[in-house]
Order: sequence, then structure tokens, then C-alpha cells
Amino acid sequence: MSGVQGKLDGIVAEFADLDAREKLELLVDFAKGLPPLSADYEARKATDDSRVHECQTPVFLWTEVAAGGTARLVAEVAPEAPTVKGFVAILAEAINGQPATEAAGIPDDVLDRMGLADVLGMMRTRGLQAILTRIRRGFAAAAVA
Amino acid sequence: MKKDEATCRGGSHRTTRTGTGAGFAARTGGSFAGPRAMVYDSDNIEEADILTAREEELTMPDYVHPDVLVSTEWVAEHLTDPTVRIVESDEDRALYTQGHIPGAVEIDWHVDLQDPLQRDYIDRAGFERLCAERGISNDTTVVFYGDKNNWWACYAFWVFKLYGHDKCRIMNGGRKRWELDGRPWSTDRVDYPATTYTAPEQDGSIRALRDEVLKHCKAGKQLLDVRSPEEYRGERMHMPDYPNEGAVRGGHIPGAANVPWPLNCNEDGTFKTAKELEKLYIKELKMKRRSPTIAYCRIGERSSLTWFVLKYLLGFGNVKNYDGSWLEWGNAVRVPIAKGDTPA
Repeated sequence: MSGVQGKLDGIVAEFADLDAREKLELLVDFAKGLPPLSADYEARKATDDSRVHECQTPVFLWTEVAAGGTARLVAEVAPEAPTVKGFVAILAEAINGQPATEAAGIPDDVLDRMGLADVLGMMRTRGLQAILTRIRRGFAAAAVA
Repeated sequence: MKKDEATCRGGSHRTTRTGTGAGFAARTGGSFAGPRAMVYDSDNIEEADILTAREEELTMPDYVHPDVLVSTEWVAEHLTDPTVRIVESDEDRALYTQGHIPGAVEIDWHVDLQDPLQRDYIDRAGFERLCAERGISNDTTVVFYGDKNNWWACYAFWVFKLYGHDKCRIMNGGRKRWELDGRPWSTDRVDYPATTYTAPEQDGSIRALRDEVLKHCKAGKQLLDVRSPEEYRGERMHMPDYPNEGAVRGGHIPGAANVPWPLNCNEDGTFKTAKELEKLYIKELKMKRRSPTIAYCRIGERSSLTWFVLKYLLGFGNVKNYDGSWLEWGNAVRVPIAKGDTPA
């Protein structure tokens, strides 16, 4: 599978047949897989406009596009927010190395398709949608620039 | 949380909150609305006379019902006690999956405690089913803990009290204190044999619905708004950094004093001392323990922590949580609303 959508379809398939407890365990596995920030990004946290202010826990996001139009999502999420961290890790896995234009077009229904909307409830889902919106917007702007 | 901490977490204020309410507001540049003294109508004067002398002494040596709190040490000693069930309730429910107290079960405020159809809590049968599935019997001592200063733990505690569960406890300090104490987390799946559980109908004495709040407000009785100062003043309709969940009006219920819920807690997630809480509510706000009191926030979650503090730690005799809170009030037709940083 290739492209952002293909990668997301693969992740959706991983979640497909899991019960609620297993879905949360897989989400936490993704969260654990999000690499720590490298020193240069750590330093940039103070100056870049990378903080997601819509989010209740400290979340820092960089949506970068390489010369060839390839997307790279770099992120840091506080350990006390594994749901957000897992979701960001899923998006990073789907996005990184793929065309930024595709990253800008991720559809809204990702959480529904993974079956996480029911497991997390409406309020949490809304918070995650806000992060998705922010990431899409970031890649859309970076792809144009 | 950084921004949130700066605006409404109790710990941030501790260093500045040393004087009277007015002085405190002045020192924080007016950015903090409460606490402020409330003026009550005549039906409270009698109680005031009875209690004033004692309350002004501010010598409360301990909480009025200290037995509702257990320490992390107590929990660590009762991990396998068959008469105890430890229950985690979190804002981020994946925290439980990531690591919970060994043997603890999870009860999620949204998925487990809310009725999926009607805007209400699960009904009596649903509550009985939930307890049975979690291995909780009528005589089980249920110990709640969680993230965010035990805010959701207090919410779950309140719902258990709605259905009359007798032995409910809060683990003081929640996840944060357990972590600070270096105690172990477990990722084991936890299942207990199902029990049978029998619950009574909801206890209306701890839950306020809208019509009652309206009467309470018009009668000028004790009302507490525990949201952030920005929400109280009507500048925003949701918590700082949280998404707006759809209130169409901003402000507060007229007469409500603003005591943001983090003021109840220390930086390590534990509750402030009896003396500190007494100073905040009784001395500075001039609240009366025997006067009917209603607390609210946005959806009744933060106010369930304040409800817990008032009822169990300070011994208020009649205190209710208005779970409809601002999400209902800020959308309701023809209910009075006040804006700005004063109650009226």
C-alpha cells in the first residue's frame, strides 16, 4: 500500500476486528512508538509556533515539506495524554515520506473508521479532530509555500 | 496544560493567595475573579448567627469526614483485599491502558456512566449492571482515583453516591501522587467474577436539576461557579484550551461566586488541608455550612470535585451538584445570566 490513504487503510484494518480494550491497547502501542524530539526540535519549541493551543495537554507539531514535496510530521505530546499521542503517532506513520498534498487531504472519518469514536466518546473525539484539522492545514500551507 | 496551569491551576496561585479575597484579586492583576464574598438574603441569617462564632475560629484540625480519603499507602496495602475494589476514572482513558494500579478496574465517565440516548446518567438497571460487571458488590469499599487532581474520580464517586453506594473513597492525590510515590503501574488486564448488585433509585439530595437551580438562584441561596475566571466572566464558553462544546451564551448564574476548582488541590494532586479549605470557603467567601448550596461548572465534572470538598471535607449539610451546568444554562431560554467578575 502506498500513499497516505493506503497507509491509513492499513492502520484502519489493524483496528478493525479489535474489541474496545484491544483498540485502546493498540492506540497506546502507537503512542509508545512516537519518537522523542531530537535536540534541534527541542530547541525550536521555544521559538516556533508549534504549540497546538486548541489542545488541553502540551502538544507541539511541525508539518514540514521537503524539496520533493514529501511530508514530515514531527510531534511531541505529553505522556499524560496517551490518546492524543497515539493518534498523532498514527498520523505520523501514515504521513511521513508521502506527498504533502495527500497529507493535506486526510478525510475526517479516520477515527470513525478505526472504531475509536465509540471507544473514546464524543468529547475526546472532538479534540482529536481539532488536531487532525491543524495537521491538514499545516501541510496545505506548507505545500503551497 | 501549560496555559491551563497559568490560568486556573491551584498550585500556581498558592504563592500569591495569602490575604483576603479582594487583596488577592488585586495582586493577580484582576485576572482572577474569585473568591468574593456573597451577600445572602434573610433566610440564611439565622444559620449565620448560630455558626459565625465557631466558623470564624478557623481551627478545623481535620476534615469533617476524613474517612472518605485514603492514602496511596493504604491502597498499596489493600491491592488484593477482596472487600476493596479500586476504580480508575480519567480524562484520558488510555492512561488506564498505559498503566493502572495493580488490580484496578476502569470506569469511564463518558462511555460507562452516561446514558447513550437521553442526556442523563445510566439508569438504575444500567448502574447495577456496571457494578456487577466490575465485580463490585453492595458492601464493597470502592476507592476511586484518576488523573487531573481526581476530577473524574470525584465525578464517578458522585454517580456512585447518586445510586446510594455506601462505602466510597477517594485516593488522595490520584495518579499523580501514586507516580510521585514511586509506586508500580500495571498493564495487566483486570477482570473479576461478576457480582449481583442492587441499587435504589437516584438520590435527588445531591443532584440539582435546572428548575431547582432557577429557584435557588432567585432565592439568593449559595451558588458556586467552579469554572475558570474567563468562563465565569463570560469571555469564553469552555475551559481554556478545550473545544467549545456548544453553549450559545457566556457568563454565570446570577449570585454565583467564582471559586475555580483547582483551588481545592495542591500541586501534587492531594486536597488542601481542612484549614486552608475552611479559610477559602468559610472565611473569605462567608459561606454557611448549613445553607443549601449548589455547585456547577460546564458539564458537572469539575463541580463534582468541589461538591466532594464541601460535603465531605468541610461538612456542608446540603450541597448539590448541578450536572446540567453551563452547557444547559448557557443554552436555556429565559434563564437569567450575569456577566463580569462579580456574582450579581
